[in-house]
Amino acid sequence: MNMMSHKEIGVGNLLKSGLTLKQNRDAIIARTKETGYYDGLEKLELRDSDPIGYEKLFSKLRGGLVHARETAKKIAASPIVEQEGELCFTLYNAAGDCILTSTGIIIHVGTMGAAIKYMIENNWEANPTINPGDMFTTNDCAIGNVHPCDIATIVPIFWEGKLIGWVGGVTHVIDTGAVTPGSMSTGQTQRFGDGYMITCRKTGVNDEPLRDWLHESQRSVRTPKYWILDEKTRIAGCHMIRELVEEVIRADGLSAYEKFSQEVIEEGRRGLMSRVKAMTLPGKYRKVSFVDVPFKHDDVQVSNAFAKLDSIMHSPCEMTIKPDGKWRLDFEGASRWGWHTFNAHHVAFTSGIWVMMCQTLVPTQRINDGAYYATEFHLPKGTWCNPDDRRTGHAYAWHFLVSGWAALWRGLGQSYFSRGYLEEVNAGNANTSNWLQGGGINQEGEIHAVNSFEASACGTGACAIKDGLNHAAAIWNPEGDMGDIEIWEMAEPLLYLGRNVKTNSGGYGKYRGGCGFETLRMVWNAQDWTMFFMGNGYMNSDWGMMGGYPSATGYRFEAHKTGLEQRITVGDSLPLGGDIDPSNPDYERHIDATAVVKRDKQCVTTEDCYDNHDLYLNYLRGGPGFGDPIDREPEAIESDLNQKFLLPEYAQKVYGAVFSQDAKGVFKVDAAATQIRRAEMRKERLARAVPTREWMKEERERILNKHAAVQVQHMFATSFALSEKFTKEFKAFWSLPADWQLLEDELDVPTYGSKHRMDLSQMPDVTTVVQVEE
Amino acid sequence: MQVQDSTVQVMGIDAGGTMTDTFFVRADGHFVVGKAQSNPGDESLAIFNSSEDALAHWNRTVDDVYPELATCVYSGTAMLNRILMRKGLDVGLICNRGFEQIHSMGRALQSYLGYALEDRIHLNTHRYDEPLVPVSRTRGVTERTDVQGKVVIPLREDEVRQAVRELVEAGSQAIVICLLQSHKNEISEQRARDLAKDELQTLKVDIPVFASVDYYPSRKESHRMNTTILEAYGAEPSRQTLKKVSDRFKKHGAKFDLRVMATHGGTISWKAKELARTIVSGPIGGVIGSKLLGEYLGDENIACSDIGGTSFDVALITKGNFAIKSDPDMARLVLSLPLVAMDSVGAGAGSFVRLDPYSKSIKLGPDSAGYRVGTCWPDSGLDTVSVSDCHVVLGYLNPENFLGGAIKLDVQRARDHIKAQIADPLGLSVEDAAAGVIELLDLTLSEYLRANISAKGYNPAEFTCFSYGGAGPVHTYGYTEGVGFKDVVVPAWAAGFSAFGCACADFEYRYDKSVDLGVAQHASAAEKAAACAGLQDAWAELAVKVVEEFVINGYKAEDVMLIPGYKMQYMGQLNDLEIVSPVTSAATADDWNKIIETFEATYSRVYANSARSPELGFSITGAILRGMVMTQKPVLPEDPDAGPTPPQEAYLGTRPFYRHKKWVEASLWKMESLKAGNYIMGPAIIESDATTFVVPDGFETTIDKHRLFHLKEVK
Repeated sequence: MNMMSHKEIGVGNLLKSGLTLKQNRDAIIARTKETGYYDGLEKLELRDSDPIGYEKLFSKLRGGLVHARETAKKIAASPIVEQEGELCFTLYNAAGDCILTSTGIIIHVGTMGAAIKYMIENNWEANPTINPGDMFTTNDCAIGNVHPCDIATIVPIFWEGKLIGWVGGVTHVIDTGAVTPGSMSTGQTQRFGDGYMITCRKTGVNDEPLRDWLHESQRSVRTPKYWILDEKTRIAGCHMIRELVEEVIRADGLSAYEKFSQEVIEEGRRGLMSRVKAMTLPGKYRKVSFVDVPFKHDDVQVSNAFAKLDSIMHSPCEMTIKPDGKWRLDFEGASRWGWHTFNAHHVAFTSGIWVMMCQTLVPTQRINDGAYYATEFHLPKGTWCNPDDRRTGHAYAWHFLVSGWAALWRGLGQSYFSRGYLEEVNAGNANTSNWLQGGGINQEGEIHAVNSFEASACGTGACAIKDGLNHAAAIWNPEGDMGDIEIWEMAEPLLYLGRNVKTNSGGYGKYRGGCGFETLRMVWNAQDWTMFFMGNGYMNSDWGMMGGYPSATGYRFEAHKTGLEQRITVGDSLPLGGDIDPSNPDYERHIDATAVVKRDKQCVTTEDCYDNHDLYLNYLRGGPGFGDPIDREPEAIESDLNQKFLLPEYAQKVYGAVFSQDAKGVFKVDAAATQIRRAEMRKERLARAVPTREWMKEERERILNKHAAVQVQHMFATSFALSEKFTKEFKAFWSLPADWQLLEDELDVPTYGSKHRMDLSQMPDVTTVVQVEE
Repeated sequence: MQVQDSTVQVMGIDAGGTMTDTFFVRADGHFVVGKAQSNPGDESLAIFNSSEDALAHWNRTVDDVYPELATCVYSGTAMLNRILMRKGLDVGLICNRGFEQIHSMGRALQSYLGYALEDRIHLNTHRYDEPLVPVSRTRGVTERTDVQGKVVIPLREDEVRQAVRELVEAGSQAIVICLLQSHKNEISEQRARDLAKDELQTLKVDIPVFASVDYYPSRKESHRMNTTILEAYGAEPSRQTLKKVSDRFKKHGAKFDLRVMATHGGTISWKAKELARTIVSGPIGGVIGSKLLGEYLGDENIACSDIGGTSFDVALITKGNFAIKSDPDMARLVLSLPLVAMDSVGAGAGSFVRLDPYSKSIKLGPDSAGYRVGTCWPDSGLDTVSVSDCHVVLGYLNPENFLGGAIKLDVQRARDHIKAQIADPLGLSVEDAAAGVIELLDLTLSEYLRANISAKGYNPAEFTCFSYGGAGPVHTYGYTEGVGFKDVVVPAWAAGFSAFGCACADFEYRYDKSVDLGVAQHASAAEKAAACAGLQDAWAELAVKVVEEFVINGYKAEDVMLIPGYKMQYMGQLNDLEIVSPVTSAATADDWNKIIETFEATYSRVYANSARSPELGFSITGAILRGMVMTQKPVLPEDPDAGPTPPQEAYLGTRPFYRHKKWVEASLWKMESLKAGNYIMGPAIIESDATTFVVPDGFETTIDKHRLFHLKEVK
């Protein structure tokens, strides 16, 4: 009586083949596994019989995707989307495999695909049903999203009642209603504080968003105006692309489109393999990276005692390149996830690396899920990059993703170098921070959150033939930009008091890393205001190559009770411009002596209160260097000194430069004297050097005695606990006795979560999608 | 033969890097084109030589034609080259203290501006250009104004004087002042300017001072600063060049005032204050020419398409107006100039064709053979296939008459290269591979054209497509086929269309000003009226500037026609739309309602109805005022109808022509000999020295009385 029929609900034979979506997907996976070719496509029938027609399809669809992104982004109000281009549209086949993607944050090639696959595996076709005109929204990090602020709208594409694919659009929103404001907030230690979480929810029918969704979602975040315009951006883009697909099918026929949408993935798989084959040298490449998680500090305020812990995240990476161009990326030995927001779902990791790869190995428009099928991933369950507990927080998964991947990029750099492609080498990457975030009541009197994206213009790693670029890009966005001050001042109640290249921030080397930059802000016209810091501070999270130095680490500077209001009025000196030499601080000379200043390496903090006239330094990191610094050309050092890219002390100490400065402050490097000094430095190095075996003996003693910082021990203890293989290798390398072990329990730190964990897959009625070897 | 008025009225100049073209139009619409080698040392001489070359066709000379001319418009690349080669003045820059590196840092996006899509993502290809002003000639002065225009830190005046002294000592030949948020409140920057001038006087140094608010008072400091620097760096030297040109004209009896094509699509006097906006002019010419042709034909929606050797440029004229982009980039710099909106795809008639070594897909460009044509020209030194090679192999181009026979093309050489590089690896015949390349290029172009039209919310059926540029008519059928245009037009002078277009431009100044006028959706009548008053004030302020420019050239205020416009967005958005105002003056709530209605109609067309967000309220972000005066424009020929059958002397025979997997015999025609009313059915190729117009099977064309070809698909 009070029930709708199946026909009314719209449950049915979506593929018109009698197969359910899951059966269809399973069959594709089986054919792929059996043959080694995507969907068993050993022959690319459409492409081989009509290469021109195939290219035409490609060109139409790809052009349309790019165009939809360019048009739709103008709807947004958020500078993150509009200025920084943090949005992306992707087209999928019926199984949720990516066919083509637009430019932008193409990390979402796989994350939206994972959401589609989740809907397929959990029988969304029966409930809530999938119909033409539906919209689904998702940001769930437990099923593949990177962090909750990447909101995706997914729209099914039908042709004459048959489901032929999906289109997804994602934008990085400015606030997700987490415990603290900003899109990548800190303070929460679990998913439950990460903000509004949506799991592939049906949020629209007949191309219209549902009212309950509109009401609920807008009041679940701090910045509803940005939220709603972001949603309109995603919907408009998805609908443009759906229309494009309809047009293509009208012109070329359904059969051609369907063939194309499978073949293009197999072509993508072969494309990656031939790139790997052409550019790299087969073999094993091992790299590692670390980042600090400094939660014990008083300025990190959390609601759980067990999260008050200083630790280090660990990402050893073994890249095996096989002669046929396939490769295996193995992260065995990675440390455990933690009670912070830096955890990452395995799809965020595997999908995300393509945003990096397309800047170097595959700089092409032809990137899709084929690349995934050409790559074997090993991400052990329980690690920070494949958590085994459904409570994990993910708001700033990037904290370590950037460094975890950068190790891989360095490995590639080494293989390019070995192959002779010097111009492709990249010595590493900046830790793309600081993230200036905060919120309160802004200059318009509205509840507000801010999230500066100046971090998209960090210094880049040096190349093997040239310096890195200053303030230019981010590992997640080669098209970086710091944006205009006059635009950021519209979005943030923070007056700029300086924007400069960050002196000494690029890693030293024969070719130095690109310098980062810094902006000094004075809180201005806010009514209630908070801010916090986010980035690496105590550790280098990536380093250089072939003798090049890592880039400088982070630090924070904030000042309260500055007396600036009075100083401005009376015309006293003011803190303007760069914090050129932090070891000889100058800002403090231009604010009241009674000011409260925090100047330290604590670069992760939680929401703290700021008054008008308080100061905040946003320092965006530099990139690592390449080659021995004492091989650097004297002219280059002279230029760096004169442009304030380098402090004189380091020109002397690190580069061995001998120089003078004239009355106007212009530096002149004496090349001949420098050469002599460098010869001496080489001798000094030799005098300091000890044979590796001897050094290892000393180190081994330290390991046996557990003579290491507790953070280091904690990091290794979590890696050992997860991986017997890693433990064995470690012990073999250092020739440790068989009974040697390092356990978390012996460290006198909180161990909550170290033994008892529950994965999402253990929840009733949930089928998770696993896309890596665990 | 009719008696026609043979007075020469209009002259257009296109001073390019290698050649200087001149274009003269008589009162009867007939025209001649002259060419001479460019002379970077003295452009006026090249223009003189080019004019002599042109007028020789009519057996006339400069001395008797220049005095007859009513109008002359210059366009050229001199200014752009000066910027690209960094050969401008030593400029000194005054900015806010603490921001001394702001210009040399630039915006990160300048490290990949102008790149093809694949290089934009390929990090190691990115690079910065040298800044126009080095840090060593930059000084900061203590001052800060906030986003709402409130002075937070007052200008410390002694620092300005000190900065000026240091910049003079450092050898500055001009001083630029650009302070943050000065577009919002100009007081500090103007005070700095006055102090700088005063200090220069004290120092007895005569160098110009440029304050950004006097030139480009628009939000976004990197754009505003770059543009003001450009003005100081390049515009003043260019003005000297133009003065020299003008002086030579005067010497030969010219009575007209030399005008220069500017980025906003109008022409301005060489004496104009803002000369930086002459940085690009050539490509705009085509859009202006199309607009004039549209007026002749009664078409108010036009898709302008210009295909050159390396790129395909598209611009749209809707309801008789072209769109303006207010923060464009040129010479890898972000700028704040109003620029006729043109979209460009990096594939053209001379693009290189390669197979991607990894995917075997065909890649067109981004580099091109340029003047070297392709491997079909043995002397080119090239061994990479170009699009032109494909055309030669398929019979589209005449190997014996390329550029009027200036160079001979080797068909077999092109065949061999296509076979080895494209056909064999793809398993296709040479013909099918070459035809495939052309189809792919044409598809890229037509999709681009279609996407640009639909992105603005229109349907191609409402548009006439104009196709020009030297290589345009070879591709016209290919990139218009199936798009569904109302009409497709190829002017007989397609190759000289840009120079023609420049001569068609209005004498027009345009000034913009940033404003912030926000009004809620259901605001009271008083609030709406207040916003109107704000807009009206801005228009009034701009009107003074516009009229002033015309007064410099001897016009009276009442000669000037003023057209107000505004930029609007939903409150909080970052992108505005430029709207021609539906009201000539704004005062009442009713005016406001009209203003938002026009905006919303445009918005829903561009972004879809569902993207409308009136609940957020509306905000006007910019006031625009254009002012123009009447000028003499070229007239089009009005030839008598000679009937559909072409004259015998126009027929040149036949040539094998390959398309759709078969060879056919195409009839060949001499373009100059065809008469108004003539009808030609494809397959046909219509040749002239400068261009080739291809009419394949399935198409037909007629030439009208204005010497415009209309291309139609035969259904």
